[in-house]
Amino acid sequence: MADLALNVRGLSVSYGSDGDRVRVLHDVDMQVARGRALGIVGESGSGKSTAALAVLGLLDKGAAIDAGQVLVDGRDLYAATAEERRRLRGGKVSIVFQDPFTTLNPAIRVGRQIAEPLMMHRGMNAAQAEAETLRLLTEVGIADPARMAASYPHQLSGGMKQRALIASALGCDPDLLILDEPTTALDVTIEAQILDLLEELRRTRALSILFISHNLGVVSRICDDICVLYAGRVVEQGPTRTVLSQPRHPYTKGLLASLPSLSVERRRLEAIPGRLPDQRQPQPGCIFAARCHFAQARCTAEPQALADAGNGTRNRCWRSEELQDTPWRVEAGASVERRPPAVDAPTVVDARGVARHFRSGSFIDALSLRWQGWRPAVAYRPHGVRAVDDVNLTIRAGEIVGLVGESGSGKTTLGRCLIDLVSPTAGDIRIDGQSLLAASRGAKRALLRNAQIIFQNPDSSLNPRMTVAQIVGRPLDQIGASGTDRDRRVRELLDLVRLGAGYADRYPHQMSGGEKQRVGIARALATRPKFIVCDEAVSALDVSVQASVLNLLLDLRDAFGLAYLFITHDLSVVSYVADRICVMRHGKLVEEGATASILGAPQHPYTTALLAAVPRVRLAEAPVRPTA
Amino acid sequence: MIGYVIKRLLSIVLTMAIMSVLIFWITQVMPGNVAYMILGDFAAPADIATLEAKLGLNDPAHVQYWRWASGLLRGDLGMSLVMERPIGPILADTVSKSAILAGISIGLVALVGIAVGVYAGVRHGKPADHVVSVATYLNIAVPEFLFAIVVVMLFAGYLNWFPATGYSDLSNGFGAWARHIVLPVATLVLGLMAHISRLTRSSMIDTMQSQYVRAARARGLSEWLVIRRHALPNALLPTITVLAIDVGIMMGGIVVVETIFSYPGLGRLLMFAIQNMDVPLLQACMIVITFVYAAANLTADLLYAFLNPRVRYGRSAGD
Repeated sequence: MADLALNVRGLSVSYGSDGDRVRVLHDVDMQVARGRALGIVGESGSGKSTAALAVLGLLDKGAAIDAGQVLVDGRDLYAATAEERRRLRGGKVSIVFQDPFTTLNPAIRVGRQIAEPLMMHRGMNAAQAEAETLRLLTEVGIADPARMAASYPHQLSGGMKQRALIASALGCDPDLLILDEPTTALDVTIEAQILDLLEELRRTRALSILFISHNLGVVSRICDDICVLYAGRVVEQGPTRTVLSQPRHPYTKGLLASLPSLSVERRRLEAIPGRLPDQRQPQPGCIFAARCHFAQARCTAEPQALADAGNGTRNRCWRSEELQDTPWRVEAGASVERRPPAVDAPTVVDARGVARHFRSGSFIDALSLRWQGWRPAVAYRPHGVRAVDDVNLTIRAGEIVGLVGESGSGKTTLGRCLIDLVSPTAGDIRIDGQSLLAASRGAKRALLRNAQIIFQNPDSSLNPRMTVAQIVGRPLDQIGASGTDRDRRVRELLDLVRLGAGYADRYPHQMSGGEKQRVGIARALATRPKFIVCDEAVSALDVSVQASVLNLLLDLRDAFGLAYLFITHDLSVVSYVADRICVMRHGKLVEEGATASILGAPQHPYTTALLAAVPRVRLAEAPVRPTA
Repeated sequence: MIGYVIKRLLSIVLTMAIMSVLIFWITQVMPGNVAYMILGDFAAPADIATLEAKLGLNDPAHVQYWRWASGLLRGDLGMSLVMERPIGPILADTVSKSAILAGISIGLVALVGIAVGVYAGVRHGKPADHVVSVATYLNIAVPEFLFAIVVVMLFAGYLNWFPATGYSDLSNGFGAWARHIVLPVATLVLGLMAHISRLTRSSMIDTMQSQYVRAARARGLSEWLVIRRHALPNALLPTITVLAIDVGIMMGGIVVVETIFSYPGLGRLLMFAIQNMDVPLLQACMIVITFVYAAANLTADLLYAFLNPRVRYGRSAGD
């Protein structure tokens, strides 16, 4: 245990004011040996970001360390003064945050931001720091470092920004590099490039890494060891391969069972029921007991301690040994039949030559000044984007069409065109054989009863001032339902999305993310539509919750013959739900085909690149080892 | 950047043109006939008709407007009807006196308001922040003229530190000039400072919670550097825009303050023109005020662009 870059011992952290403290980390132990990478995985609310900030000595106001130690390179971080901790930050310990779009200061040139820690910790003058900045930018794979250093953040793409931030974090050759969801905000192809870069840097620099992620695929690619957090407690830890291939703790098993994988064969996902426990309430027994299939009386009575499992891993479950060969659910992983629609199923949506152009800026902004020699010439050039460019798409009753593409590919705009949230600039859209664009106002309203949408973010798409019954009932008001009919239908819809009538009087802030998304689904179902646009409908949800929402959507399709346009950036999710996949790029559909053929034999190079970029949970190959 | 400046200048020319039409139209539809005003209530109808013809009051409105506007463009502001002197020199004198008053005031508002706002914002949730919050709320709740009265009663009445009214030219010595200007400036600053400090405080709080400030701290920068280099330039962007709006509000304040303190500036001249129905003088005053407001907005836009590279360099590669 001698050579540890990071040693966290018995760390407990709580937030809040005196009367109302919530403990978010409980007695957490973790070690990063020099030159190794530890992955911390957990869903939202697991405390993984708090752990990162505690290691950095940068906890928010109101947070307090209740117990434990953080030793960085043998030095106790919290025995030092705040000033000494500040000197360690950026020098001995550095971090790359999740969102490169907000992490760089928009008003300062990128080069200067990278140079800051160099001047702060390595005592360089401006000229030395500039030279070192250029060298670092070259190391993270920037072709034209001088131009990059002189740029402002808004002039760079997300991937470029994240490279710059990685360069900045490496500047002082840190003893420990923390990566806090470094690829979560990026498109999948960019994510793959950044992961390549990180693997490369691990080899060349022998970095010690603390890698925080909710994505098991990403963690399994980078990390030697893994530490699974649940509700602020370490529930299982050990070598990545062992933990992921032979999970011992029920939560780890559940997490893996609810993870869709990129494969042609469809295995039924098994979600973890329930939700994170309320951390304000004391939990005498196992923290996971309320959601665990294997819970017994002893589980809720006795607190669980981390114990060696004998295979090099440790977990916090007293039944882990007797259950070691039992999967999360007996039927978990069972192959389920895909049920594509009948060949003669009627066409629900028929879009022909749909295009949508956006114009940006005002009249004066569109004026541009050009010098012709010494003569100025003013030209009128409106800036425009072809968000959707001549797209043909048909969807049959009961069919799930996946629409994938990277951010800015126009997939959301296309989805919105199909339900008249955005008017196309050209083309025709027929719903149930009737033209949407040519319809009169009344006819259009009747048509749109058949076409609904589920939005990505349930937090912003549900009115916070309305109860669930009001939200779900509103489309019913629109189509003229009233009185007991309306109330009965609301109850029916809540049952349908498995929420139950008890939720009718709740407000959105009283529900979890998964429950809110179910309300969004109930609202979309209210008018008995034939077609629903699911715009990143599960992207904001945690894996365990995502699985249950995906299963719900599939069950609803089987029960009512619904057709979905399933818009997502997540290829694993789309491979799980879709019968047919359309790949969109720069406003055009570049490839379209049955799920099996797209996954098995993609024709377009862009599709191939997308598929290759998806991080999967790898068990066969060992993670990269540093050579040094 | 040059293109941006030209566009802004173009839009100011457009604004001025539209405003000149409005000003001309409003002053024309005001009750009262200029010829009556000059000649008095008992003038003979024939004399009035002659004067109307001489002043061109019978011409169609657009001819009158063009005569006035083209005069403006040549720098000819016309004659004051009441004072019977060219308006240009009168205006130059009063505008410069008001400019000193307003300039010192807006400068102090910016300086003190921003300083107080940053201080409170950085200490968000601590006692100092609460004290500043309560004080600024009180400050906003009290109308400007009340400040003027309180300030006069306290400093001119009881303490007798400063003269209550009037103006002393710089040629009579700096001390006397400064003593006369303290109370009007204090009134104007008190009227606007709370706006600026509250706004700066809230945008400072937002900025201090931003991800890039957290990133700057993670690089180990001292708190002072984090505030000065990373937080402040971004937090000041909304303040700059509001300062330009405050220049407009201050124009109103100047009329009140100059009237109360008998300060011989643009505000008092404007009041004089209104009370005496001196239409050409009134038009000239309003054009000047419009111009000052437009110029303040231009300055704010340019400063905003200077601090915000997104405006300075426009959109570029990537996203």
